[in-house]
Amino acid sequence: MNGPAVDVRAAAIAAGRRRGRALRSLTYLAIFGAVLWSIQVIMIADTDWARLAASSAGKTLASFLEFDYRLLPELVDPTIDTALMATLATLAGLLLAIPVAWLGAANISPLGRASYVVGRFLMTVSRSVHEIVWGLIFVSAVGLGALAGILAMGVRSVGFISKIIAEAIEDVQPGPIEAMRAVGGNRFQVLWYGILPQIVPVVLGTMIFEWDINIRRSTIMGLVGAGGLGLVLFRQMAMLNYGGVATVILAVLCLIILGEIVSYYARKAVI
Amino acid sequence: MTVALEVRNLRAGYAGREILKGVSFQVDADDFFAIIGPSGAGKSTLIRCVNRLVEPTGGQVLFHGVDLLQLDQARLREARRNIGMIFQEFNLIERLSVMDNVLTGRLGYTGTLRSLMRMFTAEDIRQALALLDRVGLGEYVDKRADRLSGGQRQRVGIARALIQNPRMLLVDEPTSSLDPKISREVMGLIREIAREFHIPVLCNIHDVELATEFCTHVIGLQDGVKKFEGRPAELNAQALHEIYAMEVL
Repeated sequence: MNGPAVDVRAAAIAAGRRRGRALRSLTYLAIFGAVLWSIQVIMIADTDWARLAASSAGKTLASFLEFDYRLLPELVDPTIDTALMATLATLAGLLLAIPVAWLGAANISPLGRASYVVGRFLMTVSRSVHEIVWGLIFVSAVGLGALAGILAMGVRSVGFISKIIAEAIEDVQPGPIEAMRAVGGNRFQVLWYGILPQIVPVVLGTMIFEWDINIRRSTIMGLVGAGGLGLVLFRQMAMLNYGGVATVILAVLCLIILGEIVSYYARKAVI
Repeated sequence: MTVALEVRNLRAGYAGREILKGVSFQVDADDFFAIIGPSGAGKSTLIRCVNRLVEPTGGQVLFHGVDLLQLDQARLREARRNIGMIFQEFNLIERLSVMDNVLTGRLGYTGTLRSLMRMFTAEDIRQALALLDRVGLGEYVDKRADRLSGGQRQRVGIARALIQNPRMLLVDEPTSSLDPKISREVMGLIREIAREFHIPVLCNIHDVELATEFCTHVIGLQDGVKKFEGRPAELNAQALHEIYAMEVL
């Protein structure tokens, strides 16, 4: 391409880029406008400003900060309960997630496209139903109590865990799989040696993350009578003892920090 | 001389594209048989058609007289036990130890339940140790595979293939991920071992110099067609021109 031809092409490209810029600016402007409109409709028009001005808000917040330390001895058992429930729920979630991930990983799905769709559908169902709703379903099945809470959190965990595992399976290096087929390994052996070692770090990281989420979830599982810190939390709330509520939240925080520490060393040991 | 492998009119391809267009050759029991050719010629596909990691679309692969293309899945797995394979990228299981990697070579002989728990027999472990010593990795038994250098990994790959007690080795570009000095060592090791265990080798290799130095028999592949067959000494400039279709030589 020589002089004039280059000029013509360069001009065309420059024009294209100008159009792209204009389109981008319009898009940003539209998003900005939509945000402003939402703030007006949802927040400004819908808030009781008079009440805010009279302000019990500051007082309420302050009463949360007066921690109720007398509650501490009563929190030991519920904290342990909560940790155990979250652990069992996460393990149940993993157990259920394994077959779902197997179905939902495009490269190993046993019946191809059909089972892949089933797997992905199960993942979506698990995630799109709130844990409280799962809780209500399991309460009607197994009655009030920790079991209903554990099942609810377990089923709710499946979606996330299986989705991450399925994606990890889709991303594995093909080499080891090929090698395990070449030595005469059967289907299971190829999965167990060719794929599993490659996804262990991801599975472990996901489990720890989901465990962390399940500790927080278990605080609202008090609603289905699951006991633990959730029950204490709701009791304190009902008594309008904000300091007690704050103390329970503190206990949850401690538990999650503990989980972070455990997970740090667990990851180091495995990866 | 007994024939270990006879490939007849082998065809392969997918999505309407033919990769192998009827290739035939035979490997004798003491051959170090090289397949050379430019990238994209179908070397890798050809070698994978032998143990059906890639399904051929036609032809015959006779391994000690048995057509591997006619076998059902269970018998194919049994046949694969008898064919060791060494890979360009080593294809080790990175997060397992050197010992575990070598032991995976016994999976074809190990039941599903035992393999679930990594319960290999004492005899397997003894053999793995002996082979690791043989390839010079006796000190590295407990190391994780991802801690080894390229040359060491390929030695693990060789030990894994040998513990199958194979009756043939398929070797796919064993040196492409290695530097020239290590490449020569690895090729030398494969040749020594093949002689020691009396197993023929079918080896893909794009490096013509290595092929002529180590191999006893060469075929040249170009665009899925066999363009040359003979002894390494017969690989002259004209033959190479045929195979590689090079403009400048």
